[in-house]
Amino acid sequence: MAFNFNWSPLIADTDRVRDMLTSSLNKSPKPPIIVDDIIVNELNLGSTPPELEILEVGDLAEDKFRGIFKMSYTGDAYLTLKTRVQANPLNTYLSTKPSFASPQPLAASSGLTIPLQITLSDIRLSGFVILVFSKQKGITLVFRNDPLESLKVSSTFDSIPFVRDYLQKTIESQLRVLFMEDLPAIIHRLSLRMFSPEYQTAEAQEPSKDQTDERAPIDPFANPAQQPTDSFGQPLEGSAPFSLDAPTETYASFSQKNLLRLAALTESQRTLSLFTPSMRDTVYRAWASAADRNELSNGISTPLHRPTLSRIQSTHGSQSACSSSAPSQASETPSATTRPSLASFASAPTVYSLGSGAPRSRAGRKRKNRVVNLRKGKVEGDVSDVASVSSGYPESADRSATGSTAPSLEAEPPTFPGTAMREGEISTPPRSPRKKVGFQQPSDNNARLSAESGAARRPVTPRNNALAFPPEDDNDQTPRASMYLPDNRDHTPQAEPRPSRQRLTRMQTLPTRDKPPELPRSASDLSLQSLGAASFGTDGSTGGILEQAWMMKMANEIARKVAEEKGRRPPTWRGGEDDGEAPPAYVS
Amino acid sequence: MLEFMDYVQAAFHAQSRWNRDNSYASLTTTAHHLLDFPIPHGLRLHVSSLSSPNFATSYTLGSQGVVDGSLSFLYTSLGLSIPSRSSAVHLGNLVQGYRHLTALRQPEVSRLNEVLRDGEKAERKDALLYGRLYLPTSTLEALYLRRISPARLLRLACVSDGTLPNGGSILAVLQNDFGKYSTEYLYSTDSALFGVRGLYNFGHDPRFPNPRSASRAPAHPWDHQGGRLSAGAEAYFSPLNKSGGISTGLRFTTLPTHTGFPYTMTLTLNPLMGNLSSTYAVKAGPNLAFCSRFDFNVYSYESDVMIGMELWQRQQPAADVAWATALLRPDWKRVEANANGVLKARVDNHGKVGLLWECRVKELLLSIGAGFDLKKTERMLGSVGMEVSYSS
Repeated sequence: MAFNFNWSPLIADTDRVRDMLTSSLNKSPKPPIIVDDIIVNELNLGSTPPELEILEVGDLAEDKFRGIFKMSYTGDAYLTLKTRVQANPLNTYLSTKPSFASPQPLAASSGLTIPLQITLSDIRLSGFVILVFSKQKGITLVFRNDPLESLKVSSTFDSIPFVRDYLQKTIESQLRVLFMEDLPAIIHRLSLRMFSPEYQTAEAQEPSKDQTDERAPIDPFANPAQQPTDSFGQPLEGSAPFSLDAPTETYASFSQKNLLRLAALTESQRTLSLFTPSMRDTVYRAWASAADRNELSNGISTPLHRPTLSRIQSTHGSQSACSSSAPSQASETPSATTRPSLASFASAPTVYSLGSGAPRSRAGRKRKNRVVNLRKGKVEGDVSDVASVSSGYPESADRSATGSTAPSLEAEPPTFPGTAMREGEISTPPRSPRKKVGFQQPSDNNARLSAESGAARRPVTPRNNALAFPPEDDNDQTPRASMYLPDNRDHTPQAEPRPSRQRLTRMQTLPTRDKPPELPRSASDLSLQSLGAASFGTDGSTGGILEQAWMMKMANEIARKVAEEKGRRPPTWRGGEDDGEAPPAYVS
Repeated sequence: MLEFMDYVQAAFHAQSRWNRDNSYASLTTTAHHLLDFPIPHGLRLHVSSLSSPNFATSYTLGSQGVVDGSLSFLYTSLGLSIPSRSSAVHLGNLVQGYRHLTALRQPEVSRLNEVLRDGEKAERKDALLYGRLYLPTSTLEALYLRRISPARLLRLACVSDGTLPNGGSILAVLQNDFGKYSTEYLYSTDSALFGVRGLYNFGHDPRFPNPRSASRAPAHPWDHQGGRLSAGAEAYFSPLNKSGGISTGLRFTTLPTHTGFPYTMTLTLNPLMGNLSSTYAVKAGPNLAFCSRFDFNVYSYESDVMIGMELWQRQQPAADVAWATALLRPDWKRVEANANGVLKARVDNHGKVGLLWECRVKELLLSIGAGFDLKKTERMLGSVGMEVSYSS
C-alpha cells in the first residue's frame, strides 16, 4: 500500500484557503479591541510537508476512505494577519457596557486605531487526525486532540513585552479553537467545492478545468491509469484533492445537475424537440421505439452512463474484495443516484418503490395479491406499452424477487434475504457494464480506456465469480431474468400476442448491447439460463401450486428476516438493494 | 427628542436649580445635540403620563425585528409643575438643540427660598427614583438622584442584566457645583473604575457678586464680558484593568449678554491617545444653527469631519394679531413663538448622512429619521425609523 501525498500543489492554491480563513475569522463576533476585519495577508504552507503516520485505516475504497493518522508538523509554514486594533483601553472597556451606567467620558475614550500585523510562524503540530473522505461528502478532518504544540507570534508590538505576551497567549488559544472547530469546516467546504460540481461556483470551476484539461484524459476511464498509486481507493488520499479532475469527471454524472441534464436528455427523446442537452464524454444513441426506452429505464444502464456504471462496479468489486460490508455503502450512493438519472422522472418513483417495496412486500399474503395485480397490470399493459411498463414494474420486481427467492431457498435458505434480494434487483446493472465495455472499446478505439476498464475489472471479476457464483448462481440468474424481462416474461406466458411484440423490440435492444441478436427473444433469457441452473420457466410459472406453496413459505421466512434486518439497520433498504446491484455485474 | 422620563428628569434638575451645564461632562453639549442626535430605528411607541406632580409612568413598545418594550416608573419628592400633555409640552424643551448657557448663579443664594420650609430652616433634600424594565431582555435600569446639599448632587445608576459580568454594574457619581468651578467623582463597580472630572470657569466669580462687574474692565484677556471661557479635565483609572484615560477640554461660549450671534467653540484633547477634537457651533438665526466638528489623531493621522444643522419651524403669529406684533418695538421682549417642528441633518466625510424630523402632530409627538450611506450605492438607505409618543 502506498500513498502519494502531493504537498506542492497544495502550496500553489492558497488563495482560496486565504479567503476562507479570512471569512471564518471574521464570522464570529470579534473582541471589541479589534475594530476592523481580520485579513489573512499572507499564507505560505511552506515546503516541508507534515509527517503522517497511518495508525488505522478503517475504510478503504476508491471513492471513500477513513483512517486515523498521527500527524506531526515542524515545517516552515507561516501566516500573516492584518487588522486594526483599538489602542484605547477605556474605549474597548466602555463599548461593551450599557450606556446607562457608563461614566460617559467626554474625550478620554476617544479611539486610536492602530494597524496591527501578526505573523504566526514556527508552527509545531502533533496530534491524531481522523480523516474521512468520500467523493460525495468531501473530506472530513477532525483532530482528536489539540494539535498545537508551539507557535511563534511576532507582531507590530514586539517591543512591548506586555502586549507581546498577551498576543501570544490570546492567539494560541484562538488557534486551538481554530484547529479544533474552524479548520475541519474549512477543509470540508474546500473539498466540497473541489469534488462536487454542485458546490462549485462558475468561477471556481474555471481554474480547475484549466488545470484538469491539461492532464485530464477525455475518457474518465483513463484516469486511473494516470494515477500511478491507484490500486483501489487508496489514491484518494493523496491524489484525490489535487488531481481531482479525473474522478470529478467520472462522478460528475451523479450530481444533481447532471441528473437533471440526463432527465432532460431522456425527455428530449420522447418529444419532437430537437434540443438535445450537451454533455461531455457521452455518446448519444437514438432509440428506435418507446419500448427500448422503457427497457433502458428499467435496465438502468444507458449508454451515456456506461463509463460511470462500470466505474462503480469496478470499485464495488474492489471494495467487496477488501471488506464485505464496504461495498454496500459505497455503492449505495452512486447507485441510488444513477437510477433516477436513467429512468425518466415518472418512472423514478416506481424504481424506488421497487427497492423499498420488494423487501417489505414479501409477506406471504401480500405477495399473492401482488401476483394477481401483476397479471392485471399486464392486461392493462395491452393498452399502452409505456403505461404497462411503469405500472407493472414494481409488481414485476416483486415477482422477480419471489421467483428468485424460490431458487435461492434451495441453495441457501439463511442467506437468502440479503443476497437474493440484492442480486435480484442488482441483476440489471451487471449487464450494462459489460455491454458498455464491449461498445466503447470498438467505438472509441481508445486503447487506454480498454486497458483501464480491463484492469479495473480484471481483479474484480475473478473474485466476484469465486465468491458469488458457486452458491448464488441460481439466484442471480433468476432475478436478472425477472428484472430484465419482467414485462416480457410476465406477458409471455399469459398473453402471447402482445408480449411477443414487446419482446421483439426489447430483444433487439438487449442483444445489441450484449451480443449480436441471434435469437431475439431468447437472447436475454438464454444467456441468463445458461449462466445459472435456475430455470426461467419456474419464474414464469409462478402461478403453479407448488410454486405458491414455496412462495408462501419463503415469504414468511423473508418477512421474518426483513423484520430482523429492519431492526438492525433501519434506513438502509436502499443500500441493500444497491449492494445487490454491483456483484451481479461481475458475475454476468 | 428626549424621552418623557428624561424630560421629567430635566425638569427635576431645573426645578431643583441644578445647573447641568456647569460640568465637564457637558462641555460639548451643543455639538453633541447638533451632530450626534440619535436616529430612530424601526417603529416605536411611547405612552407616558405624569399622573401626579410626583409620579410618572411610561410605556414603550418597539418593533425592531422582534417586539420589545419597556416599562418605567419615576418618583420624585419634588413636586414638578411642568406641562406634561404632549400637545402642551414646549418642543424646545423636548428637542435638544443649540444650548444657550446662562450666567452662573451662586448655588447657596439660589437655594435660599427653598431652604425655608414650615417656617423653619430645614434643608430640602430632593430625591428622584427611576426604574425601567426592558422586555423581553429583562434588563433593569435604576436611577437614584439626590440633592445632598445645595451644591451637591449624588447620582446612582444601576443596570442589572444577566449578560453582564457580575450580573450588572453600578455607577456612583458625586457632583459638586460651586459656580466658579465644579468637580465630579465617579466610581463604577464594573472593573472598579475611578474617575474625576473638573471644570473651571474663568472670569466672573458668582460667589462674590460684583455689582460693577458688567461695566468693569477685563482683568485679563480671558475675562470676556459677553462670553465665558471654561477649561476642564477628566481622568479615569481602573486598578483591575490597570488602564485609564485622561482628557482635557476648553470651551468658549457666548452669554446672553453677547450682542452678536451666539456661538460656541470647544477644543478637547486626549493627550494619551493623541486625539484632538474641535467643534464650532453657531446659531445663525432664531431658527437656524450650524455646527461642525473636526477630529484629528496625531498618532494615526486619522481625521473626521462632521457638519450638522438644525432648523426650527415655528408657528406663524395669527393673522388677526399680526398688525399688533408689527407695531412692537424691536427692543421689546417678544414671546417666542412655539416651535412646531425641528429638522436636523448631519453629514460626515465618510458619506454618512443622518436626517431627523421631529414635530408635533395634533396630540402626538412625532420623530422620523433616516440614515443614509452615500458610499454604498446599492444600499444607500441605512435605517429608517419613526417614534410616536403621547403623554398626558
